[in-house]
This record gives sequence, structure tokens and C-alpha cells, in this order.
Amino acid sequence: MSVTDLHTEKSYLTDGFTLRSWLLTTDHKRIALLYLGSITLFFFVGGLAAALIRYNLIVPEGMIGSAETYNKLFTMHGVVMVWFFLIPAIPVTLGNFLVPLMLGARDLAFPRLNLASWYLFVLAGIVALYSVVAGGVDTGWTFYTPLTSAYSKGHVVATVVAIFIAGFSSIATGLNFIITIHQLRAPGMTWYKMPVFLWSLYATSVILVLATPVLAMTLLLLAFERIFHIGVFDPAIGGDPLLFQHLFWFYSHPAVYVMILPGFGVISEIVPAFSSKTLFGYKFVVWASISIAVISFLVWGHHMFVAGTSLYSALVFSILSFMVAVPSAIKVFNWIGTMHNGFIRFDAPMLYAIGFIGLFTMGGLTGLFVAALAADVHLTQTYFVVAHFHYVMVGGMVSAFFAGLHFWWPKITGRLYPEMWGRAGAVIMFLGFNLTFFPQFLLGYLGMPRRYHSYPPEFQVLNVLSSAGATVLAVGYLLPLAYLTWSLLYGKRASANPWNATGLEWKTQSPPLTENFISTPVVTDPPYHYPRPEVAQHHD
Amino acid sequence: MSQRLRHLLLGWALLLVLLAIEFGLSLTPLDRLARTLVLIPAVLMAGIVATIFMELGRGPEAPRLFAVAGLLWVAILLGLGSLDPMTRIVYHVQTPNPTSVSHDFPEPGSERPSRR
Amino acid sequence: MTEASLTHDFQYSNARHQAESAISGMWLFLASEVLFFGPLFLAWIYSRHWNQSGFDEGARQTDLMLGTVNTVILLTSSLAYSAGVAFIEAGNRRRLIQCCVIAWLLGAAFLVVKFGIEWRHDFSKGLFPGPEFAIVGPLRDGAQLFFVFYFLGTALHGLHMFVGLILVGWIIVRAREFSPGYYTPVSVVGLYWSFVDMVWIILYPLIYLVGRGP
Repeated sequence: MSVTDLHTEKSYLTDGFTLRSWLLTTDHKRIALLYLGSITLFFFVGGLAAALIRYNLIVPEGMIGSAETYNKLFTMHGVVMVWFFLIPAIPVTLGNFLVPLMLGARDLAFPRLNLASWYLFVLAGIVALYSVVAGGVDTGWTFYTPLTSAYSKGHVVATVVAIFIAGFSSIATGLNFIITIHQLRAPGMTWYKMPVFLWSLYATSVILVLATPVLAMTLLLLAFERIFHIGVFDPAIGGDPLLFQHLFWFYSHPAVYVMILPGFGVISEIVPAFSSKTLFGYKFVVWASISIAVISFLVWGHHMFVAGTSLYSALVFSILSFMVAVPSAIKVFNWIGTMHNGFIRFDAPMLYAIGFIGLFTMGGLTGLFVAALAADVHLTQTYFVVAHFHYVMVGGMVSAFFAGLHFWWPKITGRLYPEMWGRAGAVIMFLGFNLTFFPQFLLGYLGMPRRYHSYPPEFQVLNVLSSAGATVLAVGYLLPLAYLTWSLLYGKRASANPWNATGLEWKTQSPPLTENFISTPVVTDPPYHYPRPEVAQHHD
Repeated sequence: MSQRLRHLLLGWALLLVLLAIEFGLSLTPLDRLARTLVLIPAVLMAGIVATIFMELGRGPEAPRLFAVAGLLWVAILLGLGSLDPMTRIVYHVQTPNPTSVSHDFPEPGSERPSRR
Repeated sequence: MTEASLTHDFQYSNARHQAESAISGMWLFLASEVLFFGPLFLAWIYSRHWNQSGFDEGARQTDLMLGTVNTVILLTSSLAYSAGVAFIEAGNRRRLIQCCVIAWLLGAAFLVVKFGIEWRHDFSKGLFPGPEFAIVGPLRDGAQLFFVFYFLGTALHGLHMFVGLILVGWIIVRAREFSPGYYTPVSVVGLYWSFVDMVWIILYPLIYLVGRGP
């Protein structure tokens, strides 16, 4: 009788029903759920801001009427989505849940630090929400000086304090993952036997630990500049406003790779499972992830091509930015190589993953457009850039998040979601996403600037299309919220390995016991040892 | 044990020697750019603290990786970050009255003037 | 005390495994701290680059003697604590406590010299940035930016020292628990304490030496 046959009611979910057992838990799985609740809340807060933005842009003069309100909306959208959704999402939910399971460990290296990181996140969120309620900030999520340091009347300091605190939550998570991966691998789990998801989280954690502290100091300097006028960013008294931009983007560019690398990891798990084929070029995928983490630190100046930096430094950053596209492209080829001649199953996780490959490729390629110095002079600060980063962030990362959520939902909750609704959600999201953001490439190329509450009338048709798309996209997000919640109560119970996937997490029951494994697993198989025998007979 | 203490004292003595070198170097008439060379003994001192006091050479290997990463990354920040100001072409503007620019704009929420 | 009888948390295979993880974790945290101070150093580079004469003029107003004395104090404090770690590794709890107390007192002395004497002296000379800044004329901008770096840098370093004093004090209080079989917190705090020393080793020339040219 194997563990897959057991239907036991006992799991980490039944291990304590009091509020205290949740709020004071050190179980990485429960902490993952605490985070899941928090980031879902922030996703809808940021999404509400986005809805209002798209609502405003239906007419050329702007439906909302106030430029200041509009500025606060896109700032809030950016701040909440970046720091309270995109950066934490996959690492703190899927990462926290799966890292010990995939390693064959009982928990992370520092479980109490893990709980502390959630409390820091919640505290940061409260400060951010206070700042919004108190009137918000109108500077854009990028907080450029001297607007933020000398002129803005918004709640700059409160917002940067919130982000400062959230940063420490990030650093704690990254540190925990790195030490866990170094120290808590099960017997037999060598580095090259680890699933790519773990390598991706390792690369992500390297960025979190090394880049986030720079943001912390930068925000501190900004706060001092604003309150005490210390002058480091003020040219009138010898400072340099570009210093702020260099420091800000030193963090914020690697930060976008924090957002996408875990997504790459998720896709690398799902594509082999639903192609019943081993991952093509495992070591290439692994080292591409590490290269992305390293090179991501060398390209930040591409956000400053028209800011007044030296032409020489701009050229260097442009060349480096082209280089960073290469490892991402390698991964795309590897996923496609995995699918080639595989036995493809089009379940919801795979639909999201295939959507990811297409949308991320679009987003990545358009990144090259803006990495080219001369083209960027025309495209910068237009909707082209907005479309580019939404393709990689939303088309890419959010698709990957939903893919992973669906793939591991049976493991996390012990329930199966309704598959037909899952597929419908994936298709609706894909269509809604493209309708929302593809017109924005055209708008940007035609010259519509970003962060403007109104626009010339000739851009209205494309804007209306985009806003219509946003409605469809919203349905694409609300649908999973509905049926996933439904499945918690009424979904069919899941076996240990409903997808017939490889990986240690599938060898234990769904949902897992608090201590994850009854006995420490010993790893002998390579990763992605597909096709698994039970599936082979489906071939014709 | 006594060998360990000897190593620690040797390290401390080396640190004081480097401090003296650093101090002495700063007194010599080096030009303004070359003066930054005084940081070389400082970096060596940091290296001694890391290897002798913090025993970076002994123990698990991960710390060595982390230390190298920290150094490399701060070098990227400082090096690539300095590239822009070092290579910018500065077009000097005649500033008629240094105080006139700033007083036109109201300070957000503060009563006292921010400029001199 | 056999290794088998030493306790460890359930996700680790043995006590040594857990100790290794704690040491690695602290080193990783220190790597992040290097990046935390990094932007301050970049600000130093920028400020000095754009205002070299004024910046160095500001540097000349610092008290070289107090700065150098403080450096020697910190280096010795680091020596003392590291000796303490070596002593507990060899089983001598009494010497551990003595070394930690010496390290603590030297650390406290640093803070007294820096904030009680040197800062007070700087304030009285009018070197605090702001409308009443003492240096006027074409060198003002650079000199003021120097003192922004000086006060911010020493304040942040001082804050880290203060945290370090709490940690070292905690080790002294807990000293009875430690033995050659278990002294991980002693090592981990020692790493932090020596690191704060390293930060000062870099700050010292940036503040007191580079700008002090003829």
C-alpha cells in the first residue's frame, strides 16, 4: 500500500484550528497560505486602481477629470502591484510551500524568520494602505527626484517607509531560501538533481538579498532629502538628481527579474509534466537562470537613456541589455524543445504555460526595441514601454502564477478545481490580456505618452479597445477566484499525484502532513524522469 | 588554542601596521585623485578581519561564496554606477544669482526656507 | 557532551548541521549589509566628484586624532571578542565572559568618543548641515555634502554598533549556556561585531584621510 492510496484526513490543515495556530505558526505551508491571502488582497487593490485608470482613459479628456487624482491612481497601481504583489507573489506562496517539499526537507532553514517576514509584509501593507487612504502619492512608483524630494505634496515619506519595511520582508525570504537550498537538500539530492523551480528561486533569492538593501538605503536618502533637504539629489547645492535614478534602478531592474524568474521556474515544472517528456537542456535552463540573475544587475541604465547620463555609459548599458535577453531566449527554446514530440495534455496549468511562452516572448522581444538607444529615444515614456512591461509582468508573471496555482492546487488544498472552468479562465485571461495591451504598443509607437490623464482625440479608438480588454481580463481574474474558492469546499478530493508528475512534492499526500514526509526521502532519480510508466500506455 | 590566540594577535598587529601605513600615506602630498589610493590599506584591513577574526577560510564553504558575492556586487554598484558621472560632458551654465532659483517654489509642509 | 545528545531543530539532521546553517545565514545577511552601505559610498563618490574642493575642505574639519583613536578602539574590541570565541571553543567560559565584557566596554567607549565628544565638538563648530552651516562661499556646497555623508554614515554605523552592544550583552547574560559543544550564538554575534568593525574600517579613510590633502 503506497502513500498514494492512503486517504487520510490528517494534514497540515487539520493540525490546529485556532487563530493562534495560524497566526503563530512556523509551518512553511501555513505561512504560504497566510501570504496567499495577503497578496490576493493587494492584487485586487492594485487591480482596482488599474480599473479606474482604464476607466479614465475611455475619453480623451479623461473621465475622472482630475490630473492629480489620475497621477495618484497610477502611482498606487505601480507601488501596490510591484512591491505588494509581483515581487512577493510566487516566492512567498508557491516558494514557501514547495521549497522544503521539493528538497525533501521538513521545513525551511529558519522557520521563525519566515513568520517574521510575513508580519513585516503585513506591517508594510498597513502603512501603504494608510498612505493611500490619507491621500496617496502622485509621483509615479519610480519616485524620481526632485519631484519627490522637493515639490510633491503627496505622502511620499509614508509610502517609502512602507516599501522600506516590505524590503526587509523580501530580504528575509531570500536569505531563508538560499540557506535552505544549500543546507537542507535530502540525501541524494545533488545540485543537479534539483527541479528547475528551486534553481529559479535560488537565482531570485540572490537578487533579493543583494539588490533590496540598495533600495532600502536609497529610500532612506530620499526621505532625508525630502524632510531635511540634505542635498545629495539637489543640483542647486551640489547634489545630483541622477544619483537617485542610478540607485533606484540598480534595485528596480534586478527586481523585475525577481518577478519573472520564479515564473520561469513554474513553467519549467509544468511544461515537462504536461508533455510527458523530460525538460530539454536541463543544465542550459539552470545556468540561464543564474546568468539572468547576474546580468540583470548590469543593465539598469537602460531606464535612463534620456535622463542626461553620459552617452558612453548609455552605450554600455544598451549593449549589456541586449545580452540579458539571451538566457531568457535560451529558456524559451528549451520549453519548446520539451514540448516537441511530447504527449501534450491541455489542462489549465498547461494552457496558462503555453500562454506564458507566447506572451513572455512578445514582451521580451519588445524589450529589445527599447534597449536599442536610438529606438528608445522615440519610445521611452510612451505606451510602448507600458505595453512591453505589462506583457512580461502580466502576460508573463501573472500567467505563470496562475499556472502554478492551478498545478499545485491539489497538493496545497487536497482538492481538485473544476477543469473546464480552469481552461475557460486561461483562455479568457489570454484573450482579455491581448485586447488590453496590444493596442498599447500601437499607441506608444504613435506617440501617446504614458502617465497622462488625457490624450489627443486621435488615440481614442485604441484606448477604448484597451479598456474593453481590461474588462475581459478582469473576468479572467475573477473566475479563478470564484471556482478555486468553490473547490475548497466542494472540489473532488485529490490523490497524492493527480498529474502523474515527477518531483518529491508529489510523493507525499495531498495536502501534506505538517512534517511533510513520514520519513526523509532518498533521491535516486534525475529530475523530470518522464515519461512515467503509467502515462506511457496512452501513446498510440 | 594558544595558536589561535597567536593568530588573532598577529592579525591585530597587522591591522595596526596597515592603519599606520594608511595614516602615513594620507600625510604625503598626493594629488586629489591619487588620494583615493589610501583606501587600499583599508580594504586589506577588512580582508584581515574577514579571514583572521571571522575565520572565513575555515568552516563551511557557502560563507566564502557569499562574501565574494557581496564584494563583487558592491564593486558593480560603485564601478558601473560611477561610469556615468565620470564620463558625462558638463556644460557649464552661468548662474546669475545662486539663491534666486529656489525661493520661487513653496516647500511642501515646512515653514523654514530650505536654502541658505 | 556527545554530539548525539546535543539538541537541534527538527528540520536539521544534527547540531553541527544547524550551527553551519546559522553561520552561513549570518554571512549572507552581512553580504546584504555590504549592499546596504553601498549607496552611501556611491553618494560619497558623486558628491566628491561634483564638488571636490568643497568636499575635501569639509573633510579637513574632522578630528583626525579622535577618529584614529576610535579606529584603534574598534580593532581591539574585535580582537577581544574573537578571542572570546576561541576561549569558549576551548571550553573556557570564564575567559569568554571576560573577553566579551572587554569588547563591550571598548564598543561603548567608541560610542562615547564618537557621539559624546566628537559630534558635540562638530556641532559647536557649526558643522551640522543646514542654514547655519559654518563654511560659506564657493566651498559651501561640497563641504555641506561632506558633512551630510559624515553625519549620516556615522549615525548608521553607530546604530549598528548599538545593536551590536545589545547582542554582545545578550551573549554575556547567556554565557552559562555555552560550551565547546554549543556556542553557535557566540560565533554568529562575533561575525556581526567584526563586520560592524569592517564598516568603520572603510568609513575611516573616507571621512578622515582622503580629503585631507595639502
